Order: sequence, then structure tokens, then C-alpha cells
Amino acid sequence: MEITIAACGAVTAVGETVDELLTAVRANTSGLRPCGRFIDPVYQSNVLGATATGTDGDDPAFFLADRALREARAQANSILGKLPSNRIALVLSTTKANIEALERLTDARPCSPTARRHLQGQLLAIDLAAAHGAAGPVQCVSVACISGLVAIEQGAKLLQRGAADAVLVVGVDCLSAFVVTGFSALKALDPIGCRPFDRDRCGLSPGEAGAALVLTRGKGETAVCGWGGSNDANHLTGPSRDGASLALAIRRALTVAELEPRDIDYVNAHGTGTQYNDAMESLALRAVFGDACPPVSAAKGMLGHTMGAAGIVETIICVLAARQRLIPGTPRLSSPADGAPEQLLKEPRTSVNVRHILKLGTGFGGVNGALVLRHG
Amino acid sequence: MADIVITAASVVAPQDVGRFRFGIRFGRLDPFCQLGLVAVEALGIDFSTQPRSEVAICVATNAGSLSTDVQYWQSRNEPGGVSPTLFVYTLPSTVIGEIAIRHGLTGPDLCLIGGSAELLDEAADLLRRNEAAVCLAVYCDVVSSSAAETIRLRAEARACAAYLQRGGSGGYTLTKNDRDMISLCARLCSLREKDHHHGRVGCRA
Repeated sequence: MEITIAACGAVTAVGETVDELLTAVRANTSGLRPCGRFIDPVYQSNVLGATATGTDGDDPAFFLADRALREARAQANSILGKLPSNRIALVLSTTKANIEALERLTDARPCSPTARRHLQGQLLAIDLAAAHGAAGPVQCVSVACISGLVAIEQGAKLLQRGAADAVLVVGVDCLSAFVVTGFSALKALDPIGCRPFDRDRCGLSPGEAGAALVLTRGKGETAVCGWGGSNDANHLTGPSRDGASLALAIRRALTVAELEPRDIDYVNAHGTGTQYNDAMESLALRAVFGDACPPVSAAKGMLGHTMGAAGIVETIICVLAARQRLIPGTPRLSSPADGAPEQLLKEPRTSVNVRHILKLGTGFGGVNGALVLRHG
Repeated sequence: MADIVITAASVVAPQDVGRFRFGIRFGRLDPFCQLGLVAVEALGIDFSTQPRSEVAICVATNAGSLSTDVQYWQSRNEPGGVSPTLFVYTLPSTVIGEIAIRHGLTGPDLCLIGGSAELLDEAADLLRRNEAAVCLAVYCDVVSSSAAETIRLRAEARACAAYLQRGGSGGYTLTKNDRDMISLCARLCSLREKDHHHGRVGCRA
């Protein structure tokens, strides 16, 4: 059964719409810049992927997710308008929901009951569903940084099981003192902004985003056709050194999609910019593709690591790439590291046929995820 | 559609933590991960009998890591600032990593925030799709008194676990009416307790 991506919406560090995201992909620009909210010395870096408007108020998670959903729903009106609301499901992907509320509550700053309610991901999901006419099943997925990929998988499964006729898949996480302080304590931030797969990379850059997809059954331009997951069972924060588990997730996704490695035209890597993640990912790609690895690029130099939104917003980049017949570049990549994928793209490549795309994700807790998309 | 059976179930509370032996690392885990690990340990499963890459872990939690979130964020004013170790436990899915590391399980993972109602459905669906041979389903909630006060939730700590497989000669066959994992695990354990086969913690269904 074919699962189609019918519409997309995104609020990111490079703009408030998917069109602005596409402009940035074409120009290979970075949205990472010094952020005035994080100038305290406790922060290892304040070069972050902040949205222009997303962090005002006490409920930025709802705000960003709502904005992305509005854009996606507007594109899918002709489909959603014909469905009874109880046939529309919503799957939310988030790692920290509205963590802003916790900061406010512990600092005795104003915090509305709704903002406090949205500290709990499932309640945020329920309120987003109510606001967007989704009276079908509601799920909140939180599997660290692969949450977005798993949420798309869950949405596809709900459709395949007949639990809904359309699924709104939305991912959100916001820049917060809570998260930036934590990564600073781990010494995990790149002071000048992340540089995925670069020789001199030295850490990640947190970002924020709201990103949404509308999934439906039936033939469409871009389909979700495979997924796979695995766990390193090795370390909570450090990826396995050999990439074997990520390779396992990739092979599982290819099996579900009934494809061979040679069928993949483009890989959108997780590419956090940390030493170990990118090295592990390079090894996993080599294990699966050998010397015939397709073109690879990563988006976190453009958007930062948007956590619960990452899998969804980076999947949107893949959809845009296929539709525009281009392969995105890797913003902020200067000199590829030894061992990086041979066809690692610094700049976008245009006028190419992109039919099958592999999207990767990894996260704390040793989790790995892979998603396969088909275009045309 | 293939039958899905539960061959082991457990229900645990914080007082059960001391009944099992863990390594020295256990003391460094947050209470949420500790209780989740104990629920799995109480199943008494020997994971060496099957390929560990074929064991999926599905977790559901209502409060997730909120108690650890509160503890972590309150610690920022202490000398030295926040604990990087504690930061890692501010993800609700960290319990999956702890279970995977302890038992070497490299199958696919899922973590749902919310009640336990969808957990059994999702675990069974994963098995019916042959995405794993067996699935560890774990429901865990720990709300500390500090978190309860800050977030206005009810303080509680409870966990249960079930070991699910496709068809087979033994075990409890999952039905469409088995929506709530907590009550199902409690029912399965209670049945065994009456038979005097096992104690309150853990049972073979």
C-alpha cells in the first residue's frame, strides 16, 4: 500500500515557510548565527539555529507546530476537506515538548495553564489535533533524535492499518536554556557552528523548528516506502564505533521498501557535526554501499539540530530535492574529513534524477532510524 | 492475522528495586530508568536464546522524564552547574538505551508519550509486520514529589512489562479487548500469584 506525502509545512532558522526552506537549499545557505538569548558564559556557544519568531511567549512549542501545520494543511485542503475529522490522525514528534514552561515554573515567571499542560507531549499532541481538526487517533512519539523518522513511520502504519485516511505528522522542538545548557555541560557544541562531515568539526549546534507533513494513502508524487530501526546497545550518548547498527537499520528500511542499495540515488545523512556521529555514519554507509555510495549531504549546518523536528524537516528537504530535481549540499562543510563518504556534496547538484532517497537518523540511547522515500 | 502471545509479564513498584542485582552503574541511573529496568528484569527472560537483533523495545510513559527534568533544571544553581550525566536522562527514551545496553538488544525501538492504551497495539503490529521476532513492551511512570508540585501531576511510581511473540504453544493470546497494558499485566500476575507459582513481582503468563 502506497503512502504519499501530500503536503509539507516548515518554520525553521532559514524561514517561515517551505518555499523559504527551498530557497535556502538551492542557495546552500546557513541559518546558524549568534543568538542574543544565549550570551551567558554558561553556554559553550550561542551560534544556533533560531527561528525569527518562534520563541516568543510561554508556549513556543505549540506556536511553531501550529504554524507548520497551518502551512501543510493549506496545501492539502482538497484532501482533508473531504474527510470526516475522525478519519484524520495526528502524530507528534518531540523530545522536550514545551520545556519553556518548566523553566518559567521553576523561575517563578508567568506561565499559563495551557503552556504548563504542553510540558507533556501527549497533551500538546491532543491540543494540536483539536486545533487542526484531527479527531482520529493521536500519538506522541519521543525517541530522542530519531523521533521525526519514527513519527513518519507511525503515521504510515496508521494509514496501512486503516486507522485513519490522512495523518498529520508534526515535529517540534524549541531552543531553550534547558537544552543548550545541557549540551554545553556535555561540551558537545561547536563554538562557530556545526560543520557536518568536516575535517575540523567539533560539535553540534542546537536549532528549533516546527515541521509538518500530511500523509495519505494512494499514488502521489512522493511516497514513504520503507523504514527500519535498530539500537547500538553500546552507550547512551556515544554512537557505536563501527556503524554496524545503523547499517542494520538501513538494510531493514531497504527490505521494507523492497530495494537494493544500488537503487538509492541520494542519502540525507543525520550529520550532527560531532566527531563520533559523523565517523560512525560514514562507516555505516560504507558497510551498506561499499565503494558505490550515492551522493550524500547533511542539513544541520543549515538548520541546526532541531531534535524532535529534525527527521521531519530533513525529510521535507528530501521531498523538495526530488521535486526540484536537485541534490542538496552540506552548508558549512569546508574540507571533508578522512573517511567521509566519497560523494559528499558541499554544494547542491542540479538537474539530476532523484527517485529513491534514504534519510538517516541516530540519537541518544543508541537509537538508529532509516527512512526510504520514492519520487515519481 | 497472526496471534500474538504474551509469555511473561511483570508489575513492579519502587520497593521491588532491591530484589534484583544490577551492576554498579545502576545507582547512577535516574529512578525512571531504574524502575523500567526492574520491570524487564522481573520478566526473568533469558535473552541468549534468540538473536538479540530481533528483539524490539516499545516503551510508553505518561510523565516521561519530567521528574528528572525538574531535578536537572533545579541543579543549575548548584556549584558546577547542571550535571551532564543527568541531562542524558532528560529524554524519556533513555530507558530504551538502558534496557538495550543491559541485554545487548539491537532491534527497533519505539517510545510513546501517553497512556498505555496504544502500547500493546503497536508492539503487536510490529511483530505482525515481522519487524522483530519478539517485543519487550514496557510501561513506566515515575513522578517525584518535587515534579508533582512543580508540574501539578500526581506523585506515583509504577512500571510493568510484557514479553510478546508471534503465535506459539504457550502464553496468553492477546485479544482486541486487551487495550490497557497495566491492567492486563496486573491480571496476568495476579492469576499466577493465586496459583502460588510466583511472587508478586513478575510471572510467566
